[in-house]
Amino acid sequence: MTAQIHFDSSWQDGLADRVSNDGPWANWDLFKLAVEAEKQTLIPDFEGLQAPGRLPQLTPLPHQLEVAKRVVEHMNGKAILADEVGLGKTIEAGLILKEYMIRGLVKKALILVPASLVSQWAAELNSKFYIPAAAQRKSYVWEQCDVVVSSIDTAKRNPHRDIIYKQDYDLVIIDEAHKLKNNKTKNYEFVQSLKKKFCLLLTATPIQNRIEEIFNLVSLLKPGHLGSESAFFEKYKKAARSVHDDDHLRDLVNKVMIRNRRGDTGIEWTKRHVETIPITFTTEERELYDAISSMRHEAGGLTSSQFSLITLQREACSSREAVYFTLRNMLERQETKSQAYEDLIGDLIRKIERISTNSKAEKALELIRKINDKVIIFTEYRATQLYLQWFLRQHGITSVPFRGGFKRGKKDWMKELFEKKAQVLIATEAGGEGINLQFCSSIINFDLPWNPMRLEQRIGRIHRLGQKKDVEIYNFAIKNTVEEHVLKLLYEKIDLFEKVIGELDDILTRLELGSVEEHLADIFSQSGSEGEMKIKLDNLSAMVKFAEDMKGGEPRAATGNP
Amino acid sequence: MQQPEIHDFLIRYFSSNGCDFEESLPGKLTVQLTEELDRELTNRPFYWHYLEKTGGIPNPMKLTFLTDREAFPDEKGEFIHFGSPRLHQLFTSAKKLAGYVRLYENNGTPAGQQTPLLPWLCVNLKISYQCDRKRDVYQSIGLQLINGRMVSDFHERLVEMNLTPKIPDYSFTLSPLILPKSGLARIQNLLKEGIRKEDHSWAEDARKRWQEDLDLLDHFYEGNEEMPESLETEKTALKEQYEPKINISVINGGLFYLTGTAI
Repeated sequence: MTAQIHFDSSWQDGLADRVSNDGPWANWDLFKLAVEAEKQTLIPDFEGLQAPGRLPQLTPLPHQLEVAKRVVEHMNGKAILADEVGLGKTIEAGLILKEYMIRGLVKKALILVPASLVSQWAAELNSKFYIPAAAQRKSYVWEQCDVVVSSIDTAKRNPHRDIIYKQDYDLVIIDEAHKLKNNKTKNYEFVQSLKKKFCLLLTATPIQNRIEEIFNLVSLLKPGHLGSESAFFEKYKKAARSVHDDDHLRDLVNKVMIRNRRGDTGIEWTKRHVETIPITFTTEERELYDAISSMRHEAGGLTSSQFSLITLQREACSSREAVYFTLRNMLERQETKSQAYEDLIGDLIRKIERISTNSKAEKALELIRKINDKVIIFTEYRATQLYLQWFLRQHGITSVPFRGGFKRGKKDWMKELFEKKAQVLIATEAGGEGINLQFCSSIINFDLPWNPMRLEQRIGRIHRLGQKKDVEIYNFAIKNTVEEHVLKLLYEKIDLFEKVIGELDDILTRLELGSVEEHLADIFSQSGSEGEMKIKLDNLSAMVKFAEDMKGGEPRAATGNP
Repeated sequence: MQQPEIHDFLIRYFSSNGCDFEESLPGKLTVQLTEELDRELTNRPFYWHYLEKTGGIPNPMKLTFLTDREAFPDEKGEFIHFGSPRLHQLFTSAKKLAGYVRLYENNGTPAGQQTPLLPWLCVNLKISYQCDRKRDVYQSIGLQLINGRMVSDFHERLVEMNLTPKIPDYSFTLSPLILPKSGLARIQNLLKEGIRKEDHSWAEDARKRWQEDLDLLDHFYEGNEEMPESLETEKTALKEQYEPKINISVINGGLFYLTGTAI
């Protein structure tokens, strides 16, 4: 017999009782209703989706329905959902969870998301999917609620951890799963030890260049799908550093991963307009920057410290406050105070004190007034963020800050303030993840991250489903600085901003050269002269171009759907 | 389920539970709950506990349901559609409150004649085929408790008849020769026999998928000298994910006394 048949005999005892006690009997109308209700909720087929019929107020997009169907019918409920930013992975995961709950295949579900997104997930599951999901706030929630949303950092700590291990989860969903790419971390170990009957890993940046990252992610979902660790690396490590280079590996990965790109969805996206705004330093700003740059050639001094020159250079392109903050830290952390070292820093601080205007901030002010609508300013530095807030207030422009470190409630509050009251939101990098701000359509990149993925996440905050207007992206770059070189490479040569990340993935993996961010850091910190740096940058961009040309005309590569 | 059907369901559910309607319009319904139904639906055990302790006067809730949101855009009330948790609560409640019936056919026997009524056992069932996917089949089976005759789609025939909870005048019931318990056993055997003859490729496929994943898992830990704990966890998870099972559960059922020509 291929399947055990189990007959639930509990009904028969109730019948015997009623026969011997002459009742109580139900009324006929209610009896008929019960049968009708049951017929309505019957699952007629192994295939197909029941969930959309029960969500009349939700209109999933075709690609979202397709993903849900594929996961349930062809992937046995274990999948990496890797759609590009802004295509609605939460909706896809919600549909799948709902489908399994309707079919009675999932009762208990655990949803692990970044702390900042816990309340948003719980609210969406409740309001859009009628799934009674509880945001974990008290430890008894694990046992009392069937569907719990929590941050992984909370979940992995005791007393929670022990309680969670005792629960029998039918479905585990993990958002921002690319954070689990390292199998030596506590988070990885924690997720690995969870019992996962069905499992969804959500990520917008699944495959970077590293083959071990994809191995770790897939092995979390389906151990052995890519073989054992030693066999896998023996086979692939030497031959290819990217998943794209091996057809067999690509097919294997595609069996457990779905990735939609914007272009695949058939949705009309609003356009992205990118404008680079070159800015000239004031004389005082230039003096500071040059002073930092010239230290490269001096023996000892700063170059031996843990703070890299490149960091200071980038900070000098952002604000004098950012430089000052780092210098102060350097002085404080210096263990053996040498006079030369202190003099050097003292000299820089004096240069900082001479600066009276921030050229970028002036430009930002002008732009914000011209836009005359909501604007998000991204900066990498907290000191710049604080300065900008002060600066804008001096000129009568309302702004709210946003940081990754804010508690959930504060994030929600800041978002609401921005939507209803303030004109400008000033966000640091960490604040870029997970908030949806599609009511705003302009971004100023006050300074640039060197990791293109992070840039895409910034843009993804506003260029996503629900955005009605074309999106304007303004990139600030100070002339004749590191910043300008990076921008030239990333924007003018690789055409980064207008490409979305899907295309970028292909290009990056074609590079076979480690991450772009590492490359850039290496180029900028190791180059002995301006000339050497330019040559290295040109090489890098030539390689990107080459990879791109190779790709031309090929069918969908590894990260796409078959 | 269309909105008018849902509206109709609400009316029938609440009226068969003895509730009065304060307002009943197409698309809008205001119901005064009875004490029993308040306890059943509103989930406020503390309130009822408090009343019991203090001996206060019960004040069951009044609920307003909207089945046509557009017709009553500004109305406060619960919008009920096929996905709303409230509707599924009522579905579950109907099943819980109506597990068993006993009814008699009333065919309007003329005075003076005596009509014998034959005993039938009716069972409405759900058969669930489950692996990593699931499918349900509904069946209604009637078993005549004197000669053992079995009939399918029984419930669908019953709903066409005129049935009453009290034995009608001039009718009398014949005593069953088969006890309900053994009747149920016969039905169970018949179902199982039928199921065994079905196409089981879905279960075979599930077992194949299961084995494939088990092989992968073994491969993953190949060469490990000590097997980690997670291996057992993974294996259990795979069993729960794929193992094909068929569950038969009773939705409801009961005893029906019908005339000889009824079926």
